[in-house]
Amino acid sequence: MPDCSVKMGCDYCDIVDRNSRAQILYEDDTALVVVKDLVLIPGQITILPRQHFTILELVPDEIVQKCSVLASKVSQAVFDSLEPHGTNILVQNGLGGGQKVPHFAIEIIPRREGDGLNLQWPPKEVPEEELEIVAQQLEPEAKKLGDLTVEPKKEEPQQKKKEEPKSEVKEQKENYLTKSLRRIP
Amino acid sequence: MQQLTEEQRKQLEEKLKGMTPEQIQALQKQQCIFCQIISGKIPSKKIYEDKKCFVILDINPAAKGHLLLLPRDHYSIVTQVPEELLGHLFVVAKNLSQVLLKTFKADGANLFVANGAAAGQRAQHFILHLIPRKSGDTLLNQEEKLVDQQMVEKVKMAVEGKLQILLGKKEMPKKEPVIVTEERFLTSASAKRYHRQNCAFAQNIPEENKVWLSREAATSSAREPCTCVSGKRIPLPKEGKKSKVKKEKAAGTKKSEPKKSSQQKVKEQKSEKGADLDDIARLFS
Repeated sequence: MPDCSVKMGCDYCDIVDRNSRAQILYEDDTALVVVKDLVLIPGQITILPRQHFTILELVPDEIVQKCSVLASKVSQAVFDSLEPHGTNILVQNGLGGGQKVPHFAIEIIPRREGDGLNLQWPPKEVPEEELEIVAQQLEPEAKKLGDLTVEPKKEEPQQKKKEEPKSEVKEQKENYLTKSLRRIP
Repeated sequence: MQQLTEEQRKQLEEKLKGMTPEQIQALQKQQCIFCQIISGKIPSKKIYEDKKCFVILDINPAAKGHLLLLPRDHYSIVTQVPEELLGHLFVVAKNLSQVLLKTFKADGANLFVANGAAAGQRAQHFILHLIPRKSGDTLLNQEEKLVDQQMVEKVKMAVEGKLQILLGKKEMPKKEPVIVTEERFLTSASAKRYHRQNCAFAQNIPEENKVWLSREAATSSAREPCTCVSGKRIPLPKEGKKSKVKKEKAAGTKKSEPKKSSQQKVKEQKSEKGADLDDIARLFS
């Protein structure tokens, strides 16, 4: 096992090793879906890679992708079962980002109107010039990344097929969403 | 967003009903601010773009460098976004997070998605927020609470099944309830034997005298099992007027086994020739 010293004392590795009170909903070779006992709100579900990576930047792309897809599926499962009014997907990355356990994870948080959870930020009014400065700082750096799209290999038609059968569920969601969106001034 | 009057809303709903999904999508796209930003109709501060996604600065940021990652195509919530595209957005977020850490010496970042107004969604376009964080800022500052084990298990119970279905690991097909465990026998207040429901003797018991017994109650009672219970043979209905009438009545009360009706018909046809063990096995397995 690589890097056991870092792994030691990691609460999420304890979950992977079944040395915890958390309950495992799903697991495969790359990731686990678990219910922890330390949460922002009951019903919260956590997705974590099996292997120990402290922060997002260290997680290989394919594992990031796998976890994000699981996040979507868990969101759907939460919608279907707990019937919340919405969900949040949250990654707390790095100590400054509020990360408590040194093991990358994605949180799915079921939300209801008036649940008392505040995951909003006061929107700052930023002058145009200031935004321009930020953009000028970031854009050249982002350009260095190049094009991150991976050429799809015949996968697109498959996707379309997958989407279709879900359309009924989607419509329901859209109805709720369009309704709730209308309420926003 | 402008408020609609009740009438306008009704009209809109009517209009939406008559549209194909493609038309609706086109309309949504037309109405969506972020789709217009992506197509360049509304100016924005673009940071990154590729074939599938578009990244801009939030004009009302939570912190300096707050980025919005948008899929080029219009989706409202995460569950609509195709898997591959969602994976791509997260990979782009990972790379841009690194850029933010470097450029602004951030101490961390948050990835944030709101699905639905209750979760804080304000636009109809799916957005993956990437918010650089500094130690000591009070953003998204919510304390985690310890919940009891019962709650943890309750959540697991509720979500696990749905999740496994979505992930293609279909639930083990639930075994048809084995009748032996839920078995009920019929007798009447004065009878000395008890019977299976489909036994001719059981069908002869008048409706008002019927007494249902569980296997436990039946075996512990002083009553003897009929041959239909031991499985040796099911007594055939007598072809008399009386039994026919009762049979019709019984047919009306076969609530407990509606699915078996076709099997029962087969059984009834066969019973004219005589029931054997195979028939019984088929009926009760």
